Amino acid sequence: MIKLEGLTKYYKKHARGILDVSLEIKQGEIFGFIGPNGAGKSTTVRTLLNLIFPTSGFAKINGLDIVKDTIDIRKMVGYIPSEVNFYGDMYVKDFIDYACRFHGEIDHIYMAMLIEKLELDLSRKIEDLSFGNKKKVSIVAALATHPKVLILDEPTSGLDPLIQSQFFQLLEQEKKNGTTIFFSSHNLGEVQRICDRVGIIKEGKLIKVETIEDIMKTRAKTVRIRTKDELELTEEMIQVEHINGYISFVYTGEMKTLIQLISKLKIDDLSITEPALEDIFMHYYEREENK
Amino acid sequence: MKYLMITEFKRNFKSLILWTSIVAGMAALMLLLYPAFKDAFANIEDFLSVYPEEFLEVFGLGDGGLDMSDFYGWFGVEGYLFVNLIGGSYAAILGGSILSKEEDDKTIEFLLSKPISRDKVLFGKAIIVAVNLLILNLMVGIVLLIAFTIFGDLNVPVWLLFSFAPFILQIIFASLSFLISIFVIKSRKVISISLGIVIGMYVIDLISKLTEEFEYLKYITPYEYINAVTIVKDEMIKPIYLLISVLMIGVSLTCAWYFYRKKDITT
Repeated sequence: MIKLEGLTKYYKKHARGILDVSLEIKQGEIFGFIGPNGAGKSTTVRTLLNLIFPTSGFAKINGLDIVKDTIDIRKMVGYIPSEVNFYGDMYVKDFIDYACRFHGEIDHIYMAMLIEKLELDLSRKIEDLSFGNKKKVSIVAALATHPKVLILDEPTSGLDPLIQSQFFQLLEQEKKNGTTIFFSSHNLGEVQRICDRVGIIKEGKLIKVETIEDIMKTRAKTVRIRTKDELELTEEMIQVEHINGYISFVYTGEMKTLIQLISKLKIDDLSITEPALEDIFMHYYEREENK
Repeated sequence: MKYLMITEFKRNFKSLILWTSIVAGMAALMLLLYPAFKDAFANIEDFLSVYPEEFLEVFGLGDGGLDMSDFYGWFGVEGYLFVNLIGGSYAAILGGSILSKEEDDKTIEFLLSKPISRDKVLFGKAIIVAVNLLILNLMVGIVLLIAFTIFGDLNVPVWLLFSFAPFILQIIFASLSFLISIFVIKSRKVISISLGIVIGMYVIDLISKLTEEFEYLKYITPYEYINAVTIVKDEMIKPIYLLISVLMIGVSLTCAWYFYRKKDITT
């Protein structure tokens, strides 16, 4: 449904874009596109929408070229941008109407359902809305047109947990209806929750594409222990640091082994948490280098 | 494109009303002052005769120029300049901001993610600029029609030229600003540059009339194209100037279109 082949974008002024990104997303799949800020996620999204032109390579959505057939592509695409910038002087109702009219007939019943589910107040002006509420407007405007493809660029930022949960339910419903979803995010947790596969982008390069099951297997944990004893280090412990009496590291091995190792210590404090995304990257980078 | 244009028109409506009121109001004010000054003009002519010819030429009052005791001459010297300067400023601001505001406010990302081509966005916005300027000139035209009918013998060709010649000047300034806004993203910067052109062109117009050495400059300033003297005396706009106007507008809009369709939107 979505195919990127050697997609490359250099910006003038030498800003980094994306380099040789190739991937394929099947119909009805939710594909997580993950990386830290500045990694090239938004560049990829903007290229897909033809807001910017690729330097080389190509991409197709439903067999249509992103540059030549961009209008036909946009007819079937719903887009939720990371930063929501709409016309502040418009009322929410007028804006959603305006946004949907570009796509032709409006499904008022579905739109009303979305508005109710996301608890959106139509009578307010866009400029008076909080960031989270603007995001809701963006979600309704994108979903109400029954898109075949959803392109989401950090869609959950600013949403409270309850609305986030509603939003994920909506996405799962869209997936059931066969919608293909390109989900760009820097939040590993939400990608794990909703996506079928994930692509990891760093410094403009796609370094890994894996299913969520596979990434779960290789998933690392950040471990932080306060102890006066000497911890026996293993090769599964990477990025080991000693700070303020704590030893911290990213652990990539079996949990059972870790527990056996730390049970020998006299522990003052212990935390085992989800790793920061950067740690995951380091994990992958070290694996790549060791190959 | 229809909805884009309707929304765009609504968004610019308040400023259209404001600018139309200012331009039409200034024209009306100048016309209303005519009866009060009329009797004093015989003396003014004597008074002006002490000034050098070049100085009077600058204001269209030299030999073969306008007669301020005549109603059309009065408007040509006093009111028409305001219509052109203020109307030109509005045109520059409107033309310069209609597209750059979308990039400045980052709403362009929304607009261009919708199934509407860049050509249509550009074309739709250019039409709205033209429609707004046409409405402004229609309103000024109505004010002039009433004033010319009450205070003087209505000369239809002169009335029509005074009403719609500024439209040509405005479209030139709007097109130039439109083109600038393709390259300069910040709408404040676009407006500063555009207003600089509006004022700069007026200064060039003055210089071109001041000495013969710089007379050739008249070909580059739109104020000369729609000169009040030619309108009142010859009841026309010179064809060469019409041709240059069409070329300036055509080239500006074509360049804007050419560069915009390939432009990276990186707001």
